[in-house]
Amino acid sequence: MVNIPILGLEAESYDRKYSDRKLIKRVSLYFKPYIRNLIIVVVFLTFYSLTSSLVPILSRFIINDLETYQNFTYLIFILSLILGLNLLNWIFNYFRQINSAKMIGGVVLDLRRDATKATLNHDLSFFDKYPTGKIVSRINSDGRDFAQTVELTIELISSIIIILILLIFMFFINLILTLIFIFSIPIFFLIALSFRKIAREKTLIGQRARANVNSFVKESISGIQIAKTFRREQNLFEKFNKINEQSYKVNLKRAWVLNTIFPTLSVFQGVIIALLVYFGGFSTLNNIISGGDLYLFLQSIWLLFFPLFTISSFWPSFQAGLAAAERSFSLIDAEPKVQQKDNIKPNKIQGKIEFKNLSFQYEEGKKVFENFNLTIEPGERVALVGHTGAGKSSIANLIARFYEFQEGEILIDGISIRDYDLETYRKKLGIIPQTPFLWANTVENNIKYCCLSATNDDVIKTLDKVGGYDWIDDLPSGLETNIRERGSLLSMGQRQLLVFARVLIENPSILILDEATASVDPFTETRIQEAVERVIEERTSIIIAHRLWTVRHVDRIIVLDHGEIIEQGTHDQLIKKKGKYAELYDTYFRHQSLEYIDKVKEMSQT
Amino acid sequence: MLEKSDQYNPLQSEFSPEDDPFRKVRQKGPNRWILRHLVHGTNKLIIFIVFFTTIVSANLQSISRVLIGAAVSEFLVDISTNLLFYTIIILSTGIGGAIVRLLNFMLREILAQRMERDTRREFFTILLGKSQSFHDRQKVGDIMARATDDVRNLNFLVSPAISLIFESFTNLIIPIIYIILFYPTQLIITPLIFTIFFLIALRDYNNKIGPVSRDLRIQYGEMNAILNEALSGIETIKSTAQESSEVLKFYTSAKKYRDYYIEQGQIQAKYLPILFYALSITFGLAHSIFLYLNGFLDIGQIIGYIGLLTLYRFPTNISIFVFSFIKLATAGAERLLELMNQETEIDENLSGIKKEIEGKVEFDNVIFTYPDGENPVLRNISFKINLGQTVAIVGTTGSGKTTLTKLISRLYDINEGKILIDDINLKDYSLQSLRNQISYIEQDLFLFSDTIFQNISFGRVSSMEEVVKVANQAQAHRFIMNLPDEYETKVGERGVTLSGGEKQRIAIARAFLTDPKILILDDSTSAIDSETEDKIQMAIQKILKNRTTFLITHRLSQIRWADLIIVLKNGEIVAKGTHEELILTSEEYRKIFIKKFDLKPEDLLRGG
Repeated sequence: MVNIPILGLEAESYDRKYSDRKLIKRVSLYFKPYIRNLIIVVVFLTFYSLTSSLVPILSRFIINDLETYQNFTYLIFILSLILGLNLLNWIFNYFRQINSAKMIGGVVLDLRRDATKATLNHDLSFFDKYPTGKIVSRINSDGRDFAQTVELTIELISSIIIILILLIFMFFINLILTLIFIFSIPIFFLIALSFRKIAREKTLIGQRARANVNSFVKESISGIQIAKTFRREQNLFEKFNKINEQSYKVNLKRAWVLNTIFPTLSVFQGVIIALLVYFGGFSTLNNIISGGDLYLFLQSIWLLFFPLFTISSFWPSFQAGLAAAERSFSLIDAEPKVQQKDNIKPNKIQGKIEFKNLSFQYEEGKKVFENFNLTIEPGERVALVGHTGAGKSSIANLIARFYEFQEGEILIDGISIRDYDLETYRKKLGIIPQTPFLWANTVENNIKYCCLSATNDDVIKTLDKVGGYDWIDDLPSGLETNIRERGSLLSMGQRQLLVFARVLIENPSILILDEATASVDPFTETRIQEAVERVIEERTSIIIAHRLWTVRHVDRIIVLDHGEIIEQGTHDQLIKKKGKYAELYDTYFRHQSLEYIDKVKEMSQT
Repeated sequence: MLEKSDQYNPLQSEFSPEDDPFRKVRQKGPNRWILRHLVHGTNKLIIFIVFFTTIVSANLQSISRVLIGAAVSEFLVDISTNLLFYTIIILSTGIGGAIVRLLNFMLREILAQRMERDTRREFFTILLGKSQSFHDRQKVGDIMARATDDVRNLNFLVSPAISLIFESFTNLIIPIIYIILFYPTQLIITPLIFTIFFLIALRDYNNKIGPVSRDLRIQYGEMNAILNEALSGIETIKSTAQESSEVLKFYTSAKKYRDYYIEQGQIQAKYLPILFYALSITFGLAHSIFLYLNGFLDIGQIIGYIGLLTLYRFPTNISIFVFSFIKLATAGAERLLELMNQETEIDENLSGIKKEIEGKVEFDNVIFTYPDGENPVLRNISFKINLGQTVAIVGTTGSGKTTLTKLISRLYDINEGKILIDDINLKDYSLQSLRNQISYIEQDLFLFSDTIFQNISFGRVSSMEEVVKVANQAQAHRFIMNLPDEYETKVGERGVTLSGGEKQRIAIARAFLTDPKILILDDSTSAIDSETEDKIQMAIQKILKNRTTFLITHRLSQIRWADLIIVLKNGEIVAKGTHEELILTSEEYRKIFIKKFDLKPEDLLRGG
């Protein structure tokens, strides 16, 4: 709890676009389902504040009575009242905290769920804009910051009520002393807030220095093998000491700066107490106020020190909390670019693909296609070749409906791609990306990912089709082996084979294969080649080709350059032309040919 | 600037392990280790002053309360009081207390920041001195998590955790002393009873909240992991239209988090010490009123007494959260120690043979299991290579290729069999002499955040001419000259990013410079469509000349022309020989060429 006020003072600034009012309105919608908890919180909070402020007030009455009548029964009565109030106070707080936790927990859960749902349903252009780390941070840690702010706000309201009640009461007792109080509050805030700027600055410098050391350590450890091989450890050690010492000094200064805030406020509190003693004493001497009154004033200032500190750092904390909420909302509000107009759910797709006068760009000003036309017949196997940026992946992305195009049409089986129900459509597509992605789960579950109804038999049959089952037997638990994050237990080649299996079990009508460029050992490479052979049978296949074998065995090669089709034909036809394809062949495929391999030995003689 | 005891460096020969001030205490558990760091060097004096100022501060606070009480007593009795006098004294105690506290804060920050600095230094130093085998076992990410978070938590352990606890402790005891000094002794009953109940309730609270806080932390980590994985695989999710099931997966995890959050809230809501505190004020008030009615106290003294009791608010409030720091820190310390205490296995054999290697390598029935592994990773490995030959090691991942090459420079000791270089057993060589003559160009080439020149010359004193010469041989000179600052261009994390092919050639340039007699080149992560394939091929061919080279490669062009091809499967050699020999003897090897080039078996056996 000490940390929360400091958090506010150190909070990063974030440029906000939504107005406070709009945000608060939206956030309150999330509290609606928990209105019962909210009411309980508000009610008990109010009661709690009342009982908290009543205790010092009642004490004042006791002490006054001691000074004057010393009515025993009266004293017992008030004491019992105080006792009762303390118990009630604790009980009120208990219920308040429990309901507060339920409410906040629920709100943050709903917020996280909505943000995640919206995020996962966005098209790929969204993910080009927001890096993964930022998204995760928004959903999880911003949710946590938001929760903290709500907690703080609740504490704050309670503090305010208590202070108000006490102030009103004190006002009726003595004006001057109350004025001392009232004037001290804004000064208190000023002191706390003026620290904020310095605190933020020092914190940034401190963070940077610490980040420096950490990245040096990381680099040294990552390169430790080289350091050892070339015996460079001494050098590293000296450098490290320098950076480490620097981080120490900078962070010490920062800590010192931050730590002056409490003593400063303490001094201020001391001054106020001294003033109270002086003027209070004066008033007491002249019988303007009683001992009990003085006691009340003193109690109040001891009571209020911490709440005042909380309030003064409230505004930046509150802003930080709103910013956190805003970041979540911006995830939810981002307009999905891919919008379907209808939701046709076909039973079968033949696999005829037509691009008609298509214009497409990923972002303003960078046109990928303009008036592009292409027809692919059902069952045809097509290889796309071209330099990076020629448009190969874009064709694949558009067919997969990962991005929205601007002009023209894409027809699948004669129907506009925008008219299909996306879920049904995508289930009839098979997409094998360049870098295979696998889940931290068993081999079997990875293969069955699309279709949980697949049986163990289906899995084995499919694996067989893509190049054999024997390598699975070599794994520690066969099909049940957990292949860890991103499939890291398996080799690159094995991962590729798994993805082939996963796609094949879906039995897609249209296959999009982006051939991996990472090299793989020759034995697995042979298997993968066989898998490719198998997987492009019986379906429309669009392959972004990197293998020599592939371009030699497809029905048609399409040569792309800057979004245009320059040449089309089979490998032999295109080589004879000595055009763009021949040039591409020379750059990308020639090295895979037998002649090249045979000639490599001679090359080094030069 | 550094004291002698902070200069301990296991890598410099003038230091022996006995000079390491923390060597013994690392074996004695996290608490002793932390303590030893806390009292290191000049810290002892600082700790003393911190103790002293904390106690003084508590005293000043108590004095302030007593004085206020006394002042009120005066005012009420209406003696001609020197109002100013009292005001000034009370103000002084307030300001004096603040100054003392400031000094106290600043000093404890020194201790805390030093704790972080010193433990980080120790961790780094010890890690640097560890053997290669150790580093191969660790994931950089794990080491970094310890070097950053765990070290940082030790900082927080000192300040605020231990400092606040000590301050609370003094705030529990000192007021009692003042009560005894200035007020009827029986008034200590309330604070004493409060203290006892407080400590009991606190222990109970900590026992309950510890596990829940841990669960909350772990669950948060799980939520992060799920989201991270989903976002990494977003294309897969969309391709298979699995968005809703992924959302459900996340929601289930987030719901669990919510449940732990509520559970934590429930435990916090039941925090009894706050109630005890309020009751103690009430009973204190009742008790003092009783004494007042019997003439043992006056009103001012009541006010003073209650003032002293309110000092207990501080320990009550901070105890809600402060103990979690301790748990975090000691857990972190354990992890740090665990890493640091792992044994270094290979002995340096300083008196071993130091001769210039020619390059003949022989493996004789070698069997090898990793130190913490169960099954042998390599079995019955036998082969002989003459100087200057190129050996291509081929096999699927996990077949043992990289492991085999690691044994050559004795990064690990083998379990059975022999490895001979120039007919001398590997173990008989001085390790340093051995490693100086064997170079390893690894898979994930690591470049330091430094200039290209530095990355190539790496630790050697070289002239620009020498560096340019090897860059040329490695076919790297041209692309280097195209960089903004040519050889002075900074690369690595904060510099220019080089492509895989470019990095590889830098590594080859480096190897030319060191001119090892035995070279191990791991070429297995290159892409298959590199535009600069010719250049890379040439660079590799050049570096192979006139030195014994172990080549882990997938390129058929390299395999085809190697002097010896070794095919590994599951840690054993399943085929060995030249390309021609393997075509004849190994069906799987033959299949590679047949499938890839649509050949017929007859074609292969013709020519070569």
